[in-house]
This record gives sequence, structure tokens and C-alpha cells, in this order.
Amino acid sequence: MNTITLSIAGFKIKLLSEAGVKIGVEEGYLPFVISGHHEDADISIKTIEKKHLTGDYLSEKDLIFEAKDSHLKYYSIFREDQGYKFFIYNQEGPNTIQQLAYLDEGLTTWTVYAGPSGPGKEIFPLLYPLGPLVLYYLTVKFEAIMIHASGILDGKKGRLFTGFSGTGKSTMANLWLKSGSSVINDDRLIIRAAKTGFVIHNTPMFYADSPKVAPLHTINLIKHAQKNEVTRLNGANAVSGLMAYCIQHSYDQGYIEHHLDFLAGLCSQLPVYEVGFTPHLEIVGFIKTYAV
Amino acid sequence: MTIKELFTRKNQFATRNVGPELVLVPLRNNVADMNELYTMNESGSFIWELIDGKNTEEEIVAALMEQFDVDERTAREDLDEFIGSVSEMIAKS
Repeated sequence: MNTITLSIAGFKIKLLSEAGVKIGVEEGYLPFVISGHHEDADISIKTIEKKHLTGDYLSEKDLIFEAKDSHLKYYSIFREDQGYKFFIYNQEGPNTIQQLAYLDEGLTTWTVYAGPSGPGKEIFPLLYPLGPLVLYYLTVKFEAIMIHASGILDGKKGRLFTGFSGTGKSTMANLWLKSGSSVINDDRLIIRAAKTGFVIHNTPMFYADSPKVAPLHTINLIKHAQKNEVTRLNGANAVSGLMAYCIQHSYDQGYIEHHLDFLAGLCSQLPVYEVGFTPHLEIVGFIKTYAV
Repeated sequence: MTIKELFTRKNQFATRNVGPELVLVPLRNNVADMNELYTMNESGSFIWELIDGKNTEEEIVAALMEQFDVDERTAREDLDEFIGSVSEMIAKS
């Protein structure tokens, strides 16, 4: 049995394959590989080589969720008797299945069927978009949430900036970097509860970046504005405002309520602000003064 | 939409009380409009809980009058406004 173990956001993910099946991870995952034997993995992903994957499409009634846009189809999720079945589509060809995956009802054990795609004929079980899907189900199984956000560590204070695509998450992270802060990530974070509060973790990107974690102290919902301004959000407005930017599959009531519980706890302990900003360095000092 | 019809559609939402308010997330089978969420204030949250398939409109109005110390006309207006808002919410979901 071949194994590779990853540690992402504090979760241990064990990749397995039978002898003769070479598995690998893409560049963005390499910094998250950890050495040694890990019997305490949180989830396992067993890879089975299968070169030709066809659309063994179940009847429509078993389809519970699809991720697609006007250009591409990313994945389809079907309910199985003992868990879920996934068709993961190749981003280079319409409706071409790149991986077939199964997840058990306990959200602990994945089985992935795929063909070799690496330069050394290795199989990449976490090939996009399955990698982020695996992370999503970790946040459903455990007390965590994944969010479109940038995160920075400003001395001792960790700050999260979230908003729709184009609202300036990366711009904001860059401004804080210029002011001397360190950037945890400028696109996607996992938030987890920790003994001393909440923490933010980066997750594997398409480029290699080392694993990072920082304590979280403030949450900022950002938007472009004519001038810098901040409003404190409370109660249901804070929870719903933040939930809008979290990565969700809205087919399961229990999964959504699990994340709502997490966010309600988070928002009860940390301040949530709505921040309108102009993309200049002055916003850093403004936030330090008013969004503490 | 009637109270009875509203009750049958409640399971289209995941909900969470946040203090006296309520957050509602529509269940969906695709990624479209996943950012669409709703919140209800204290009286809306109160009415939502009372729509249980058993309470009649009259009973809900009476409960509103007692809980929020309002007269019957105000309670009926609040309930009508609630039904209108939630009907719109359900239509969009």
C-alpha cells in the first residue's frame, strides 16, 4: 500500500493506493505533505486506477446537487444508499468525467477512480475540483467552515476580509502586506475553533505556498466605497452576512445548520464589521482605529 | 399564500435562531444564488415558530398581541406583512 499524508488546516488526510498504483499531489499540495506514519488520519482517500470513466448516469431522482456555470460543469453529486457518488468533470472538455468518487455516509472514507495524469503516470486524487470538495466535506464533518476570504496577521491580530469576487480581498491583503503584516492567504481560508479562540488556515492553491495559521480577531465584510467607512454588524445580520461568502452545498439542511451553528458561535465571540473602502494604504490605519 | 401552505414549505429552509432573530437559508440543488440568505426580526421569528401546521391565523394573531403588547389591528398587519414577505421569499427559492 502506497500512502501520502497531508495536513491541511489541521486535518490529516491520508491518500492510499494499492501497490502498482502511483499517486501524487499537485504542486500546490506539496507543502502540505507530512512525513511519517499517521494512523490518526481524519479522513482517507483510496485511489483506484481506472483509465476510461464513462457517465454511468443514475436516474435524475438521485441527483442532489450540481456545480456548473454557463461555460463548464464542475461536478455532480448523487445520493447513494451508503453515502454519495460524485462525477468530477474534466475542465478541458464538456461533460468528460475526470474522476469518479464515492464518500461514505460518515464522511470519513473516499474512494476515487481515476486515470494517470501526471508526468510520471501518477494519479492525482485531489485534482481540481475534487480537492476543494474534500475540504468542504471536512468542514461538514468537523467544526469548521471554508470561506472566500483573505486573511492577514497584523502583529498579534488576525483579520479576515471577505466579500464577493471583485470586491477587493486580494487588494486589501496586499495593502496590509505593504504595511508590514503577513498574509495568510488572499483567496480562501478555513476557520476553525481552537483552545484560545478561532484560527484561520490557508489551503492549497494552484501555486506552492507553505501552510499558515493565525489567530482570528476581527471579521470584515468588505465592499468598494467612495470613502472609508465601517459599520458594526450584530446578531442575524452578522451571521447571514458572513454565511453568504462561505462555501456551501445547499442541498442538505443538516449541513447548512451545522455551519450556521458554527458561525453563530463565531459571531457571538468576534466582532463583525461591514467595511467600505478605497484601495489606498489609509484603509489599514482606518481599520486599526475603527474595526478593532 | 395561507398559513397552511406556508407550513408545508418551511422545510425548504435551513434556519438558525440568533438571539431573538432568525437566519434562513433556502435549500438548493445547484450553486446558483447560494449567497441568498434571509433574516427575520423578533416578531418574524416568533411568527415563523408559530406556523406549525396546527395554529390558526386567529391563534397567531392572539399570540402576537400577548407577546408584543399590541392591539389586534397591528398584530394582523404584522402577520399579513410577514405572509407577504415569506411568500416572496418562497417564490424566489
